[in-house]
Amino acid sequence: MGQIMGSYDAKKIDLYMDDKPSFDPQAGFSYERQKREMVANETDLVSARIPPEFRDYCSHYLLDYQVCRYKHMPFLYKCAHEKHEYLNCEQRDYILRMKEFERERRLRVREQRLVGVA
Amino acid sequence: MAATILKKVVLSNPKLIGKNAGIFCLAARNHWNYQYKPGPYPKTPEERAAAAKKYGLTVEEYQPFPESMCFGDYPKLPDIGADSKDPHYPWDMPDLRRNFNEPLHVRSEIYGGDRYDISMKPRFSVMHQLRWFLGTVFGFMAIYFYLDDYKFGRPVTAKQYPGQGVHYLFSPK
Repeated sequence: MGQIMGSYDAKKIDLYMDDKPSFDPQAGFSYERQKREMVANETDLVSARIPPEFRDYCSHYLLDYQVCRYKHMPFLYKCAHEKHEYLNCEQRDYILRMKEFERERRLRVREQRLVGVA
Repeated sequence: MAATILKKVVLSNPKLIGKNAGIFCLAARNHWNYQYKPGPYPKTPEERAAAAKKYGLTVEEYQPFPESMCFGDYPKLPDIGADSKDPHYPWDMPDLRRNFNEPLHVRSEIYGGDRYDISMKPRFSVMHQLRWFLGTVFGFMAIYFYLDDYKFGRPVTAKQYPGQGVHYLFSPK
């Protein structure tokens, strides 16, 4: 999962980078999946002037980081931990997207196989 | 002292005074535009010979421009840029690559060494340059269109933003 040839082969099933998942999110799970929750408040993000492309599920970490920067300017090394927290969150978010891609790919391959049998 | 030196200089090179006087005469007397203008177009062989003599050319190498070009009796000289002339020849004016009293080309202001050399021989012919230019451009275009079918990105789905539908983690509730 995640290797570059994985996304190259996904061309065969018409799956590309930044596509949206097309299957039911619960399909194939024996348990109910946990919903992602937005921690930060939209108005807080707007008042902190965080651009829309950064208002994702990690933006509460980004907000903490920016607050820290504002407090400690110009001693930004004091915000290293906040920055690390934020980047870790973004990494987890990226891994989640990779997992969604792989789930989508496997479900499409399975669907094709079932159609071929039927 | 100064007079002795002057005497020595003059005696060692008797033509010096005449030559320099000629230059000063030329510079001081012929300084109106009409004096530099070419004469009327030569029609008879005698007029041609006179014009050739005026420009310091032999009758065989003298050739006026066609009358319709309105250059009068000005000679048509071979198109040679200063850069194409031999740099090792002992020119009277090495920076212009020109000898004293040598007639100027009618377009000499553009054929100077700092401008354009009309008689330059390119290292590669223009067709050769064009072939390489178009070959490079269309070669890269061909590679681009060939590889267009093999594009792929990173194996990730679209970034999830709150407010754009419900998103789930992979962990149980």
